[in-house]
Amino acid sequence: MADKKLTVVISQAQGKNPAKRELEESLAAALLMEPELEVSLVPHLYDLSPDHTGTLFLKAIPGDMVVLSWLYPRASHWVLDRQGVRGKEGIVLLKEEINEDEQEDPEAAESKSIPYENPERQASIPDRKIYSIDLRVSSNPDDYLKEIKRLSQDAQVQTFQLGNLIQESPKPAQIEKYLQPLDIINAQNNNPPNNNGSSNNAPIQLEPTKRRWYPVIDYGLCTNCMECIDFCLFGVYGVDQGGQVLVEEQDSCKKGCPACSRVCPENAIIFPGHKTPGIAGADGEVAGLKIDLSKLFGAPDALEMAARERDVELVNDGRDAVGLSVGVPTRLKVSQSTSDELDDLIDSLDSMEL
Amino acid sequence: MPDDLAFMMGNFEARIPQDRVYSKSHLWFKQGEDRWRVGFSAYSVRLLQDVYFLDWAIDPFTDVREKQKIGEIESSKALSDLYAPSAGRILEFNEELLNDPSAINQADNYDKGWLFEMESEAQWLTPTEYLQVLEDGWEQTQRLIKGQLN
Repeated sequence: MADKKLTVVISQAQGKNPAKRELEESLAAALLMEPELEVSLVPHLYDLSPDHTGTLFLKAIPGDMVVLSWLYPRASHWVLDRQGVRGKEGIVLLKEEINEDEQEDPEAAESKSIPYENPERQASIPDRKIYSIDLRVSSNPDDYLKEIKRLSQDAQVQTFQLGNLIQESPKPAQIEKYLQPLDIINAQNNNPPNNNGSSNNAPIQLEPTKRRWYPVIDYGLCTNCMECIDFCLFGVYGVDQGGQVLVEEQDSCKKGCPACSRVCPENAIIFPGHKTPGIAGADGEVAGLKIDLSKLFGAPDALEMAARERDVELVNDGRDAVGLSVGVPTRLKVSQSTSDELDDLIDSLDSMEL
Repeated sequence: MPDDLAFMMGNFEARIPQDRVYSKSHLWFKQGEDRWRVGFSAYSVRLLQDVYFLDWAIDPFTDVREKQKIGEIESSKALSDLYAPSAGRILEFNEELLNDPSAINQADNYDKGWLFEMESEAQWLTPTEYLQVLEDGWEQTQRLIKGQLN
């Protein structure tokens, strides 16, 4: 049934890596053969501007969707959220493998800071699921097909949502995009892939995007502590009417600079394009469960590094370096460890063993 | 040779042999003819636990600056970059460890588990001074680890 379809969006890699293109294209070709799926291709999510046809298309998707991108799932979800493509995080089984012994300790999870609650924001999240899948997890299209079919069976696609969409008078561009999905997909429909699943179409042409660089806030982690606002001296962050921090001037952000992410105590600030997994949105568990002892072995600490990165950008702008004198977190408080806690700590290291 | 000093990490006793000197970055240095042989102190090894992987980012006989990144280590508990303990020249690496880093672990860390040899003019810490560094830094180390566990 046409209105029961699950939408699958493939977001292209930046650049022209042939291996990545091939995976994208063979996936698109294979997914098109599935009658219960609606398949579309958009440029790299992070680079989509608000008025890009890809963005408008994504915003017009009414029900559950699967998004395949070259991003960590957490980065993908919050990039979409930032662009107004919102929903609840769907559970994906196809993901980066985490060893049993590295699974998050439930007690540790409980002791995490509680995210800032913004009822207005919560209420405005549509009741649908967005399943984010990282295309770096496997190079075998079959792995993705299997997972998408599973999701398609689980997905609760609500048929009345299309009706809602029309009653709410969507923008003309949304209707156009809904009724007429991206041209490339139509082109592929008219030119079905051959039997071995590989596509013999001409190179895919989407509306071009420019490379962008800006922070994305994970509102599932953000406690609204405002340290990013204090630290960033380029005016990237602001506060909405409800008092919640947001990325207000994303184009004021300095390309390559991840300093605010290092300063964030909850690891809630994602730069999807940064080379360090923890900054690019890898799950906290992955980044956090192996202890980083670099500091003990002589590394400059994260704050020092953040201040250095910020100074470079300040100097590039013709301003003065400020080092650690401005906007540095004041949270570095002395812990009240007792010797019991100390033994527990060492024991907890032991209990993390296989 | 006087008895080893010891630092209690919870219930674990980290030995500090007095036949060598130490750095704040938890390495030991044993004087050779014209060079220092360098390895992890028992304190480092206890925090790392089983070492799986060791990789050097520089070639032997390379001049280094203090705090320059020289390699990486991965263990069952931790990941870390490794940094030059002082300015100087890194001479040779312990080839044995590249195939099998297990000698870094507890029993052999002061002996077969040496990491590299270097020339350096730096002033290292005496065992007593190093013990003091451990005592002063212990609370902060716990915070570091806890902060990352939570």
